[in-house]
This record gives sequence, C-alpha cells and structure tokens, in this order.
Amino acid sequence: MLSRRTLLQTAGAASLLPMAGLRDAVFAANPATNQPILIVLHLRGGCDGLNLVSPASDPNFIEARASDLRVAAEGANAGFQLANGPDAGIDFRLHPSAGGLNELYKGGHLAFIHAAGLTNQTRSHFVATDMIERGVASDADLARTTTGWITRALQGRGAANGAVPAVAASGTVGGDLEGASFAMAIPDLSSGLAPAGGAPVAAALWQLYGGAGAVAEAGRTAMQTMAGLDVRLPRDDQGRMKPYQPENGANYDPSADFARPLKTVAQLIKMEVGLSAVTLDYGAWDHHEYQAGRFKPQAERLSNGLAAFWNDLSAYHDRITLVTLTEFGRRLRSNRSGGTDHGRGSLMMVLGGKVSGGRFHGVWPGMKTEQLDEGVDLAVANDYRTVLSEILDRQHGIKGGAWFPGFKAPNMLGVLV
Amino acid sequence: MNDDVIRFALSRFGNGPLPDDFGTLSRKPLSAWIDEQLALPAGDDSAMQARLKACRLRIRYNANPDGKWPAMDEMRPLDTLNQPIEALWPLLDNNTKPRDGAERRRAMDEVVAASYLRAVYAKAQLREAMVQFWHDHFHVNANADERIMVALPAYDRDVIRANALGNFRAMTEAVASSTAMLYYLSNQSSRAGAANENYARELFELHTLGRDAYLNDRYDRWREVPGALAGTPEGYIDQDVYEAARAFTGWTVENGAGIDGQRKLPATGCFAYVESWHDGYQKRVLAQEFDPFAVPQHDGRRVLDLVAEHPATARHLAKKLCIRFVGPNPPDALVARAAEEWRRQAKAPDQIAKVVRLIALSPEFEASRGAKVKRPIALAAGFLRMTNADFTPTDGFHNAVAAAGQRLFGYPAPTGMPDDNDVLLGTSALRNRWNLLLGLAQNSWQTGTLDPSRAFGPTPDMQAGAYVERWLGIFGTAADPAATAAISGVIGLPPIVPVNGLDPRRLATLTAVAAMAPAYQSA
Repeated sequence: MLSRRTLLQTAGAASLLPMAGLRDAVFAANPATNQPILIVLHLRGGCDGLNLVSPASDPNFIEARASDLRVAAEGANAGFQLANGPDAGIDFRLHPSAGGLNELYKGGHLAFIHAAGLTNQTRSHFVATDMIERGVASDADLARTTTGWITRALQGRGAANGAVPAVAASGTVGGDLEGASFAMAIPDLSSGLAPAGGAPVAAALWQLYGGAGAVAEAGRTAMQTMAGLDVRLPRDDQGRMKPYQPENGANYDPSADFARPLKTVAQLIKMEVGLSAVTLDYGAWDHHEYQAGRFKPQAERLSNGLAAFWNDLSAYHDRITLVTLTEFGRRLRSNRSGGTDHGRGSLMMVLGGKVSGGRFHGVWPGMKTEQLDEGVDLAVANDYRTVLSEILDRQHGIKGGAWFPGFKAPNMLGVLV
Repeated sequence: MNDDVIRFALSRFGNGPLPDDFGTLSRKPLSAWIDEQLALPAGDDSAMQARLKACRLRIRYNANPDGKWPAMDEMRPLDTLNQPIEALWPLLDNNTKPRDGAERRRAMDEVVAASYLRAVYAKAQLREAMVQFWHDHFHVNANADERIMVALPAYDRDVIRANALGNFRAMTEAVASSTAMLYYLSNQSSRAGAANENYARELFELHTLGRDAYLNDRYDRWREVPGALAGTPEGYIDQDVYEAARAFTGWTVENGAGIDGQRKLPATGCFAYVESWHDGYQKRVLAQEFDPFAVPQHDGRRVLDLVAEHPATARHLAKKLCIRFVGPNPPDALVARAAEEWRRQAKAPDQIAKVVRLIALSPEFEASRGAKVKRPIALAAGFLRMTNADFTPTDGFHNAVAAAGQRLFGYPAPTGMPDDNDVLLGTSALRNRWNLLLGLAQNSWQTGTLDPSRAFGPTPDMQAGAYVERWLGIFGTAADPAATAAISGVIGLPPIVPVNGLDPRRLATLTAVAAMAPAYQSA
C-alpha cells in the first residue's frame, strides 16, 4: 500500500502538481474565513451504540441485554427520552450520564443515525477502521484504494490549497487523510509550535533540510507549518504562550482526556488558517469486560466535551459539522466477562448549525432475531457513507459519491437542512 | 565494514555504533558482528548490571489526606526489576496496605527506565532491537491498567526478553499465559457459556496468522475456506475465533477471585487454570476437531500449535521482521526466504535468531540503506551512544520521547506502535525529534551533562566550523559551508572561532544540531 511519503518518493514531481500542498503554499495574510469545516470524531475501539442510545422499550432488546448494559426507560437510572425516534412504537433513550448530548439534541443541533456503519462482514478493528477511513466496504476496494476519503473529497473541491487545509488533532495523520500531502498532525498547541532553540536552530534546520528525500521534504513542511501557525498563537509580552481561553464560559475540564484534542480543534478553527477538515479521536470503547463501570464515565466525558465544544464555538456553528464514526457496534448479548464482543451496527452522531437535529434519521432494522445480522448483532441499516456523502454534498458542495469507491449514495437522509 | 555500513547496520540491528566501533569493526564483515551479537547470552552483561544497579529513579507523591500513607520523595533503585510477580502483586491490595497509585506505576516506570538504559548501554544491541520488536508485536498497554503495570517486570523479563531470539511457539504460549496479556486482552475474565473473544481474535489477527489470512468477508462457514476439508485451511474466519475463545476459557490469573461459593483463587498474580471456568465440550479450530473434555490447558495449547505452525503465520512474521529491518516495502523474494527459514526452524530453540540472521545477511538488507526513519528511542539512544554519554533516565526524558511519538508500553491499541516512516515525520513528531536531541545536549531533563569530547573532542586550535564539520561527518552528513556556518551560529560563533575550552554544553548543542540533519534521522 502506498503511503504519503512513499508516494512522494516514487511519483514524478509533475504528477504531484495538482495536489501541491503546504510545501508550496504561502501563508496568506488573510486566509478565507467562510469555508465550511468538517470535523470527524473517531470513537476508537468500537463504541456500543446500543448502550449510548437504547431502544429501551423493545422487549427483544430487554430480553437479550444485561440490564446494566442498556438504558432504562423507567426507574432511578432512566435515560433521557428522545423525541422523533426511528420507530414510533419504541421508546429510545439516551444514556443518563449524557446530559450534554441531551441538551444538544433538544436544542435541534444534534441528530442521530442508529444502526449505522460498515456494510462488511469484518469484526476486526483494524480492517474495519481501514475500510471506513478509506471510504470503502470491500476487501477488493480496500486493496486498490490508497488514499483517505477526506483526502479525495478535499482535492475534489480544490480545498487542498489553503494554508492549513487539514489537521489531525492527534499524534499522527490517520487513514482518512492518507495520501494528503497537505495534512498534518497537531496533537497539542499548548506549548506553541516554534522549534526548540528558536530562530538560530530554525536557520540551521533550513540549511540542513534543503536537499531531496522524504525526511528533508517532511522537515521543510514541518518548519513552514510551524512558522505559519506559531505566529498566530497568542503570546504575552515575554513571548510566552498564553493558555487557551474558551469562550462563553465553556468548560472542557469535565471531559478529562477528551479535552486536549477538543481544545486543539477549537483553537485551530478560531485561528482561521484556512482549515477545511479536522480529525480527532476519542477512545477506548473496546469494552470486552466490565463494560458497565467503564462505559458510563466515558459517555459522560464524550457528552460533556461535545457540549463544551459547541458552547465555545458559538460564532462558528453554521460553518461546522461534526460527525462521529466508530468501527462497529457491539454484540447484542454480553459475554460472561460483563462486556460485549465485536458486533455490527452502531450509532452515528452529527452535530452542527446546519443539522436537522433533535431527531433520528435513517432506517431502524429492529431487534427480533430474524432482523439481527447473523442473528446476533444490530444490523447495519444505514451505510456510513450515506451520511458522509450528504455532509460533503450539502455543506461542502462536493457532489456525488465518487469519493467512495464502489458506493452509489441512495437518496439523502435529510441530516442537513 | 566501512564507516557507512557500520552506521547503517548497527542502527538497524541495534541503536547505533559507539565511537570505538568504527575502529574495531573496520576489518570485520557484517556476518561476524551479527554472529557475535547472536552468541551473546540472554540477560544483562556485567557492565549493564552495574549500570542498572547504580540507577536511581525518583518517586514522589503527597501524603494521603486521611493519613493512610506519608508523603514520599526519594531517589530509589530499580528494585522491582528482578522481583517475581507474587512479590509485586500485593501492591494492588489496598486493604492490607493502602498505597498511592505511584507505587503501582513504579513497576512500569522501572521497566521503562531499564529499557532506556539497555538501549544505550547493552552489549547485546541486536537482542535489544528484537526485544523492542516483540514488545511491539505482543504489545500490552500498561499505561491503562495498574494490574498490567505491576505485571510488567515479569512480562518484560520472563516472556519477551527470555524468548526474543528463541522459538516462536514457546514464546506465544509464554505470552498467552502471562498476567500482562491475560489482563490486556481480557482473557482472565473469560468464562464458559459466553467466552470473551478479545484475546482469541488478536491471537489470530495480530500475533499469528495476520489480517491477510482473515477471510470472513469471503466465507461464512469453516468448510468453505479453501483447504479446510483437507485439514489445511488457507486462513481463518469468525467461527475459528469463537471456537478458539472457548478453548482459552479457564486461562486466568490468581487474583483472589471467587471460583464458586466455597473456593477462592489465591492472590499471587500468577497464571491459573480453572477447570470449572473452561468450556470442555468439543470444538473445531482451523478445520481440526478437538475432542471433548481434554486434559487441563490442552485445548488452548492445541490452538497455539495450530496457529504457530500455520503457513500464514510464517509469512506474517517474516514480513513484519523484514519491514522492521529492511524497509516499508520489503521485496517479496526476501519475505519468502525468511518465511521458509521460519518454517524450517519451527522446532529449533533459536528459530527467531536464524530468521533474523538470514534477513541481516541478505543482499536486500544491504541495498536498503536509508529506508527506515529511526524511531524516537533509537534516535535518542544512538545520539547518546555516539557521544559516549553518561546518561540517567528521568520522567522528563520519558515524556520527551513520548512526545516524539513512542511511548513505551503506552500505545493505545493492541497493534503496538505502527512500524511506519510516515508517523515519525509529521510536523509535531519532527519538532519533538529535534527537541529530543537538543534537550539531551542541554540536559533539559536532568539526564546528565553531555560532554561530546568523551567521544570526539576538538583538537587544539580547532575552529567551530571544523568541529561542526567533524560531527556532521560522524552522523553521516557531507560537509557544507553554509550549513556549518548556520550551525555554528546557533551558539553565536562564526565558524572561524576556535572552540577549545568552550563550555561542554555549548559544544554539545553544536553536536545535537549536527544530529538533527536528515542523514542521522534515518538509517
């Protein structure tokens, strides 16, 4: 499989011109400040959508699921009742620790697509992740698709030429930005982005990294990016970084380990560096054992984090759409470790100012044995690419499903207004 | 070997040369060095033992507000490294002796510190490279679980190091029955009735056959898999995972859990097999029938036999080794030869060493110079080796290495850290690589004053430019007046100013910037 660097090594320079990225881009004094921004949140590990949003009154579900791994419709631990579910006969409930998500849903900013995911038989984390990040659903398409779906979409829109078109707010650029010479990983802005040793070291690095080769190219990209971003970071009189100040009283602290990537994204958006897409991760959802104790705090942090993020970015609501992806849901019946093994359909969430929120979209396949995938899992009734296609089309003006090999988008679900 | 080959080969099969290696290895072929390395016995050499014994790592925490434990701040030896697991397991018991969490984390911190010291000072550099390979392959994320932290000294010592150049089948069973892996992939809680599939799935996908042999998308039933009816299926499907998960039920840890109403497991942290938790009925794995009610652990061991001897495992491991030691896209012919050797040596006690030797002495290896970007630990350790540094591991150093993209025993997925140049060349990763070298030179994390003249000092009247040129050369970069002047400028000196008597920290800064050059970033 070709990776970003090997592509750079093997392709002729001329063939790279149409996707000439950051290496050649000059930081514009005033990059565009009206472009839409796609935010892709990966819930790594396989998030149990049925534990986050439960068909709480479905007798088949109640029968199959251990009571501590589903949301109750009544009693002291009852979850938030969700209006406008996908099946009028069923009481869908949101996890009781996700009060922040409930507010976003009630406010009409957040929509759910349940029973969503990858239409492939894999139960491997890594195969499923690779397929989703490349926007495919078969082994054959995976083998011949060497770039990420966001890479192709941004190139298609010509958005790849901004100053900093795409950022992964994590340690590395993930598979959905594979092949994007214009993408970079920025896990943290809290200590600034100037190289250690300041201007004299930077001057030496420019001399050392002037030549050919993947390392030298990467070094030049890094130095240019750092310089361009660093000047936009707020500093005090002594040149020290000022800590990030969220707006509207938004408090990221209760989201714990989810706070840092969220703050990095919020800060990057406000810096107006021409960002069109950003990815971030929140895991680990792979709860093979003791799920009841582990799921609750994680759902709470997810919920608190997204609520703070939304609050912090109130001036940007119409420009942002955040969508969650996870490699698969979990088995309907729990194992005897008090956990759940790898399943199929899960929950997708879409948050944004243009989202038709406060409701579910898509089809609910039901929980009777014959409606389950292989008799054991919530079926994938809504291909994840249907939702992504709609976001690209409606908000980013990127038409058609060509970004998703082997996929023809059905009618839009109406996730965006 | 000439200087270039010494730099290259010792940086792939180790963490780079020591200054003396350029002299002593100049009349030896690579094969001689490889054979010397493979002949070194397992365990630490005497100088390494002395280093480990002398090492002090700080531990510090506040007093418990309810008076359950006092405040702690001391420089403590690496006491847990040689302890059996039953000596460390009581750290988890807060009923008999409440403790700050730092005491449990300590076991992991000591393994981390020892890993850095061995990376820099161990004579058996090739073994260290293989230890790193196997820790990535059989990865456990200790950072996420105190029980794995406490189990880590035993895992590192008795499972990974003991088998790093040994036999894969033996190693796989050592992993399967290790406390660290039983917790990480949750097999310790797996019970008959609804087995936990976590370990079984990763055993197939990550540890042995590999994802290329996962054929679930193509076949729904075991008998449909090509070769299955002849007893030699080409790959595996979910049904094999489910059945293998049943085979490993009952493989657990003596953690004090109740077995039934009356009996409890002791709380030692050692491996346990609990018959009443095992699913004893007949099974079918990789087209082989398992009879019901086999003797204890037989089902699990038979699964390990089947996966270890499967041809897909030989290909998967051969390819992974070639990616590690030769480059991102290793030639198929080399992978095939390594896989063939892997299978030929399947029963040999030094199976892994034999395969590594084949790869090291292949023409494909020789032709792969520059193909691998160094990982952060190798980057730092190689710099410390080349400067003959007197290095002490610290928390600050550990965080700096992690920021550059390698957190030992802390990668969040069971794949272990990816072996991929790209992830090391991101904007943030590169910035932190440069920072790592500069921080060592300037003793930013109390790792010790770095005095490069312990390796190559300035000759009398040597000018800054010549000094920089010399270090650029040592790190494999051709001299360039503009670069030399820019590097001298980092400490504010024109290239013609003599550097004798200069503060070692300023000399070390020049050395570090020379190591930032692309040539030293890869091997």
